Amino acid sequence: MADEKEILDYLSRGGKFSAPGNAPARYRAELLRMMASFVDSEMAGAAGFADCINKGPGVKERIAASRIVLEKLDHAGRVLRIMGDFGADAARYQNIHPWADRIGRNDDIGVTRRGSDMRLNVFHYPISGWTDSVVMNVMMGAATVIQLSDMVNCSYQPLGFALRDILPRETRHAELGEEGLRALAARGDAERRQIDDSVNYWWPRIASTFGAPRSERAALLKRFGLRHRPNEELLEEWRNRMSISLSSALGSWGGNC
Amino acid sequence: MSRFHPLTVTEIKRDTRESVIVTLTPPATANGDFKFIQGQYLTFRRVFDGEEMRRSYSICAGVNDGILRVGIKKVDGGWFSSWANDELKVGDTLDAMAPMGNFHSPLMPLEARRYLGFAGGSGITPMISLIKTALEAEPKSTFTLVYGNRSTSAIMFREELEDLKNIYMGRLNIVHILESEAADIDLFSGRLDRAKCDELFSRWVEVEGADLAFICGPEQMMLAVSEALKAHGMDEGAIKFELFASAHPGKAKKKAAADGVAAKGKKCSATIILDGAARVVELAKGEETILEAALAASIDAPFACKAGVCSTCRAKLVEGEVDMEANYALEDYEVERGYILTCQSHPRTDRVVVDYDQ
Repeated sequence: MADEKEILDYLSRGGKFSAPGNAPARYRAELLRMMASFVDSEMAGAAGFADCINKGPGVKERIAASRIVLEKLDHAGRVLRIMGDFGADAARYQNIHPWADRIGRNDDIGVTRRGSDMRLNVFHYPISGWTDSVVMNVMMGAATVIQLSDMVNCSYQPLGFALRDILPRETRHAELGEEGLRALAARGDAERRQIDDSVNYWWPRIASTFGAPRSERAALLKRFGLRHRPNEELLEEWRNRMSISLSSALGSWGGNC
Repeated sequence: MSRFHPLTVTEIKRDTRESVIVTLTPPATANGDFKFIQGQYLTFRRVFDGEEMRRSYSICAGVNDGILRVGIKKVDGGWFSSWANDELKVGDTLDAMAPMGNFHSPLMPLEARRYLGFAGGSGITPMISLIKTALEAEPKSTFTLVYGNRSTSAIMFREELEDLKNIYMGRLNIVHILESEAADIDLFSGRLDRAKCDELFSRWVEVEGADLAFICGPEQMMLAVSEALKAHGMDEGAIKFELFASAHPGKAKKKAAADGVAAKGKKCSATIILDGAARVVELAKGEETILEAALAASIDAPFACKAGVCSTCRAKLVEGEVDMEANYALEDYEVERGYILTCQSHPRTDRVVVDYDQ
């Protein structure tokens, strides 16, 4: 039987697991933490967007918002099933946190986790209306796509394969957001000012979801083959993508990037 | 709350000098729990000298074969595999959990897919299941198996693979690579390492256009094969790995604490308070966690992630000391006040009192 050192060497060289059995304790903990963060973020994200469905200006927008809510819940369920293979009690897990709860719009919780709720902190902040929800979806949607892309080749193959199916749908969510944003921007200057305010509000909160540069945890995840690219590189990609998608939606947007 | 079922051994066939193929029948009470997906494995448990061992072995049958069987190769110093090879008899029972594992891809009966499989030694066991199932369910698909062994006499399922080649004429190709025997062609002798793969992929096995590759064997072989596949243009997402079936510890044995305080095998008496009721359970130090001991005693202790992440299993340690393997959920002040994550806690003292109600 392979000992733990051999297993870690195997992982750092690109080896993969297909079942929980071989995972050393520390690996298992980091993998579960990563999955819990994904599940909690999808559950909390869906709960936040669910409230926005009725704020959509028309049927098309409400369908788009409903679809995003539906699919994010489905994604949470898929990864929760993988957590179940490690002994997690999925039935209990899906209700352990009040997913729709939000803090005040102007509270600042930085990057510290709130108790054992593992959602990314951005999902603790409330959405203030339809325009704000579209902007948040465009910006966080792009961040999610970049962050998940780094995990599809992760060393725990069942998670990697689940994320491979999830990724194109999350990409579509971000695209739906961009379509909505173009429609809003076309309404005129007042709406554009509102968009600008929302971009400024969400920018630092979403940027912080990429984690600290030179993070010890990121280095450990890389050794485990769970993550591949450094946080700052992913953040840079997001900044570039934002400057392109926001300026194309708004014509000439010169905000935070 | 045991998830193990007693399976009856109905046939034992000697395959090579060092391996047996064991056919098993689940009890009627298992209610279809042993229906499996190709490439899955069974986890067995058995007590040796007072210590429970768990070992996993891949199922080597097609999903429609109507039988459940595993191939067990004797591993040097391996208690379970030696016992299965030397002492197991027809009529014995073996405790096994329902099939698990993800070494498979969904079947596409209408598609013509080209599969590549790479097996080292007993890594052939899940491949047998994959090959039989895919070729039967997908009449237009083909499978190329590259199978590395020490020598001809060590090749598991040798005859059965030949039979499969005849049944699926032209759809199953098998390339044997033998370490200690000179073949007519150099290409087919040696180890399945990076150089050998590069050689095979440029002269014999076409990687381009292959839909999926399955690799099962020792770590070094799997790394070499996957690196070579990627270098020859295969997408990483099309490569599936399964560590040597016999390497699945099933459930890793908990290590004794480094300082020896929680010496393995010693018992601890744990009082568990839940919903106002106190119960005493005994647990083996250095092996079980407090949560596991509580669940095993049918105490409905709360838990969700079992990984030290979610804090559902939080409780207050009223008496005694514990070691926590991981803690992502409790704040320092909570730890100072005596809170622990029971799913991660191993007792250090002979007696602990844990209160879930506080």
